[in-house]
Amino acid sequence: MRYFWGRVGLFVLTLWAAVTLNFILPRLMPGSPADAAIAKLSQNGPVSPAMRASIEAQLGVPSGSVWSQYLSYLGQVVHFDFGVSYSYFPQPVSSLIGAALPWTLVLVGSVTVIAFVVGTLLGVVAAWRRGTVLDTVPTVGGQFLSAFPYFWIALLLLFFLGYVAGWFPTSGAYSQTATPNWSLSFFGDALDHAILPGLTILITSFGGWIIGMRNTMVNTLGEDYVTFAEANGLRPRSVAMRYAARNALLPQFTSFGMVLGGVVGGSLLVETVFAYPGVGLLLFHAVTNQDYPLMQALFLIITVSVLIANFLVDILYGVLDPRTRQ
Amino acid sequence: MTTTTDPVTPDPPVIEGRGNPLRVVARAIGTIWSEPKARFGVILLTAFILLALFAPLIAPYDPHDGSFPHSQDGSAAHLLGTTGVGQDVLSQLIWGARVSVSVALIAGLLATLVAIAVGLSWGYVRAFWGEAVGFIVNLFLVIPSLPLMIVIAAYLHSGGLAVIVLVVVVTGWAWGARVLRSQTQTLRSRDFVTAAKFSGESPSRIVFREIMPNMTSLIVASFFGAATAAILAEAGLEFLGLGDPNTVSWGTMLFWAQNSNVLLTGQWVQLFAPGFMIALFAVSMTFINFGVDGLSNPRLRERTAKR
Amino acid sequence: MSLLTVDDLSVVYDQGHGRAVEAVKRVGFTLEQGEFVGLVGESGSGKSTLGYALTRLSKPPARIAGGRILFDGSDIAALSIEQVRTQRQGGFAMVLQSGMNALNPVRTIRNHFMDVFAAHGHVPLGARAARAEELIAKVELPASVLASYPGELSGGMRQRVSIALALSLEPRMIVFDEPTTALDVLVQHAVMNTIRQLQATEKFTAILISHDLGVVLEATERVLVMHDGVIVEDAPSRRILSAPEHPYTRMLLSHYGDPRAAEVSVPGLSRRASGEVSVAAPTTTPSPRRAAREPIVVSNVSKVYPARRRGAAVRAVDDVSFTLEPGMSMALVGASGSGKSTIAKLVTGVERPTAGSIAFGDLRIDRLHGRRALKRLHADVQMVFQDPYAALNPLHTVEYILSRPIENFVELRGREVRMRVLELLETVGLTPAATFAGRLPHQLSGGQRQRVVIARALASDPQVIIADEPVSMLDMSLRAGVLALLEELRENRGVSMLYITHDLLSARLVTDRIMVLNKGVVVERGDTADVLQRPQDDYTVRLLDAVPNPARP
Repeated sequence: MRYFWGRVGLFVLTLWAAVTLNFILPRLMPGSPADAAIAKLSQNGPVSPAMRASIEAQLGVPSGSVWSQYLSYLGQVVHFDFGVSYSYFPQPVSSLIGAALPWTLVLVGSVTVIAFVVGTLLGVVAAWRRGTVLDTVPTVGGQFLSAFPYFWIALLLLFFLGYVAGWFPTSGAYSQTATPNWSLSFFGDALDHAILPGLTILITSFGGWIIGMRNTMVNTLGEDYVTFAEANGLRPRSVAMRYAARNALLPQFTSFGMVLGGVVGGSLLVETVFAYPGVGLLLFHAVTNQDYPLMQALFLIITVSVLIANFLVDILYGVLDPRTRQ
Repeated sequence: MTTTTDPVTPDPPVIEGRGNPLRVVARAIGTIWSEPKARFGVILLTAFILLALFAPLIAPYDPHDGSFPHSQDGSAAHLLGTTGVGQDVLSQLIWGARVSVSVALIAGLLATLVAIAVGLSWGYVRAFWGEAVGFIVNLFLVIPSLPLMIVIAAYLHSGGLAVIVLVVVVTGWAWGARVLRSQTQTLRSRDFVTAAKFSGESPSRIVFREIMPNMTSLIVASFFGAATAAILAEAGLEFLGLGDPNTVSWGTMLFWAQNSNVLLTGQWVQLFAPGFMIALFAVSMTFINFGVDGLSNPRLRERTAKR
Repeated sequence: MSLLTVDDLSVVYDQGHGRAVEAVKRVGFTLEQGEFVGLVGESGSGKSTLGYALTRLSKPPARIAGGRILFDGSDIAALSIEQVRTQRQGGFAMVLQSGMNALNPVRTIRNHFMDVFAAHGHVPLGARAARAEELIAKVELPASVLASYPGELSGGMRQRVSIALALSLEPRMIVFDEPTTALDVLVQHAVMNTIRQLQATEKFTAILISHDLGVVLEATERVLVMHDGVIVEDAPSRRILSAPEHPYTRMLLSHYGDPRAAEVSVPGLSRRASGEVSVAAPTTTPSPRRAAREPIVVSNVSKVYPARRRGAAVRAVDDVSFTLEPGMSMALVGASGSGKSTIAKLVTGVERPTAGSIAFGDLRIDRLHGRRALKRLHADVQMVFQDPYAALNPLHTVEYILSRPIENFVELRGREVRMRVLELLETVGLTPAATFAGRLPHQLSGGQRQRVVIARALASDPQVIIADEPVSMLDMSLRAGVLALLEELRENRGVSMLYITHDLLSARLVTDRIMVLNKGVVVERGDTADVLQRPQDDYTVRLLDAVPNPARP
């Protein structure tokens, strides 16, 4: 319980820090992002005082007390009110994000879980069969693949499997003729579109899991409790899984947080290559159009999602390691 | 003193670490070299550095020269073809090594220096502010760095290479700092560190002469890790158009290739080649990391030397 | 037929490129059912390697290179992995050296038992819970332990659990590899008693591997002495004691003594005539003799560590007072947790007392502020560390290590520093000094490293040396030499010494005064020989009983 509340406290603190960082960032920058944003917005028509106040709170203006801006910014965050996008004028930022977020969450979330499970299992096999082909191929191969730029793998898959072979659709999350609904046929269509981006993320991310698991498990295999389990005649599978792998899994979870940030970042690039309508593509559009309110809100949402995922993994870690319960 | 009557003062033994820094570096390379996978990495990396240094001699044309026929496939005159605005792809690839490799190495080096400064002081000092630093480091670790880079770069309006280096350093130091900190904490409680205090050593000397040399392998590993992350990040930012599109680097080549729809025109080499160079460069550093374990272990060092 | 017949057994360590080091060299012996045999040797003798080979636990780079291990008539060395695995039930078991880490930290003790039962199926499902309780009772632990995780148990309890797990296999033979080495002295004694009782009641054949001939002679009926991969002597315990044949056995025995005896001697100490003078330092003391001038006065000192997690605050040192007079040598003895190491930290200014004062001459150690003041203290009060492997930076040469305190404290430069380094090396008996100066720590033996540690402590020409268990990590045969060196430094240089130990024999050998600490409180103090011969406090008696003594019936 102590561990749990400690993690909750840390999560809340980190969340606050991330939200505050998001507030400070545009104010640190040269020039005035807020003025630029208002100027852009006025091209679309008159800017109402409410819109102006909202942008000023989010991006900062030279006038006004920083403290009052901070308070009204926190109020906005709590109400999911991030103002109006001007590249998609007059849509509110929150509804744009609401439309894009599910695509990314499902795609990145499920692929990350698959990569974690597959990579960890391959790592277990590599460590258990150390020095054999089952070790060298996944370890060296994994090192190779994780050194490749995400978007480059994406481009290669897009070109060879999409354009040349024509096996998979080359852009979007579903066919242009389809409308999103809960039917099986739409689901199949969406899955078809998700394969190439998903494959890209899988290829580039699971090498890290293999190597992480393999290296820690090679260490746990040298621990006395493994030798003692062998001395007691436990079955090899039991020694490998319940003794060596089970303990090597713990550091694997601890490094999850650090790796997750990289995976999310990489999948943003993947989305732009495949024109997959998630937050990555939206962020790309926001950046190219200098749509600061949208960009700012997206950064916050992405960060908070990663923090939540980390928090869940932390809690899971607490369940897996009895030492945190003492 | 009895020893004064004794003329036996043979060759003064060389004191470790006070020797020529070049010798130290040479020995480090020797240690890495003895691991075959790392040797492959060293050869690759050296090739890239030579390519970057001698780009003007190796490249057949000026990379900015747009006087050639547009969008040509590979030929004897242009081995990898030409771009949509008539530049030689091979020459761009060779010149691109200059920017990409130097950004990676410089950003990796700066990030590592920050990591050493933060990690060592944070690990050595037991004080309340250690907790605060720890919180900041962890924050930087969990915040997804690419979106952060994108946002910072977007605010700075594509300020060119300096901005990219800055952004990569800001987002890339935390991992190394954490690794070095936990190692510092382990070493700090070792008896030889306590013994150094009893020998009257100053804190800075303890940190830099007693603790840091025992972390050489970690420092080198975190440098190569940071440099790998740097080249991938640089390419990512430039690919999104957040770099200076007029510099010639592998990232901007990808940006232009993507923008001129080379996949549709079938000139996929323009996408393939720069990406492959980036991947190969990253691979070279990943593989060097296989050999760094021996750096701070005199036993390992010796064993490899005997081979 | 014998239960175990080892025949011409060789075990090698592969070093790559076809080279191999032979750690066990064509060893042969037999064991009868129900025998309790000791296997004794110092580090590097190959005793553990042999133990691992006997239970088929050798892992690469170790490899059985030849010979046979006949267990109950079948050759263990030739069995397949699965055959060995099933043989372990009802066959041979092993208890590892570091029982601390022998249990899976994420599994409860009950699950450890269930894993063994599931692997062999020798206990019917319904009877498993009861069997686990029965086994845990045999090692004198409450059944509640079964629900715990290893991290919740003390070192001694964990080692008992390991023994119970080994018993759960219902083995005919158990190999105990240094089963008590990592434990506290008093706990060691209790665990050894349990092992002896179990062996007597369960009637399994036992092999006790240990570096400590005293422990082995106390427990076993027969002893195999191993040296350099060879069994040099195989004889009944009583005969080893009364008529040891091999010179190596005789050397090992000579290092034991009864701290209670009127006259105690080990080679090189007390009676220097016993032919082992070579381990003692050369008698020349090059630097001008400098006696300690100032006493260390500790008055009413307490040290309280704040509570960790849920536990209460720990009172490590409780109202301790003593005076270390110039030139005096005082022992501070107690089991782990007695507060003796905390006192060392307080006296050297590493930590501050919660209450009380510590003075060295006019210097108030408890009020030292800043590095400069600490440096002033360390010019006169130096420390010899317990673990010579941890106390030397593996990357620095001996010369660098020794030259640092000289430059910092003595203000010598250049050539003079080097002369002083060589002089120090000669003082501690590392000759020829010039060949040792350039070496790295891993190129030295354990005893040599400890001499470097002592040389470093001497570099500032201190008045007081605090020696924290300076020989406990060394092999028995090396201890006397280091102790003799400390004794000689005290005599020839006149430094005072605070000698911290749990080993009463060594305390008897090198100190005049003694203080016995239990849970931070001084329970007894006085003249060392007096206190050890006529202990008043029960705790002192228990410590004395825990001293392994081969001569005890």
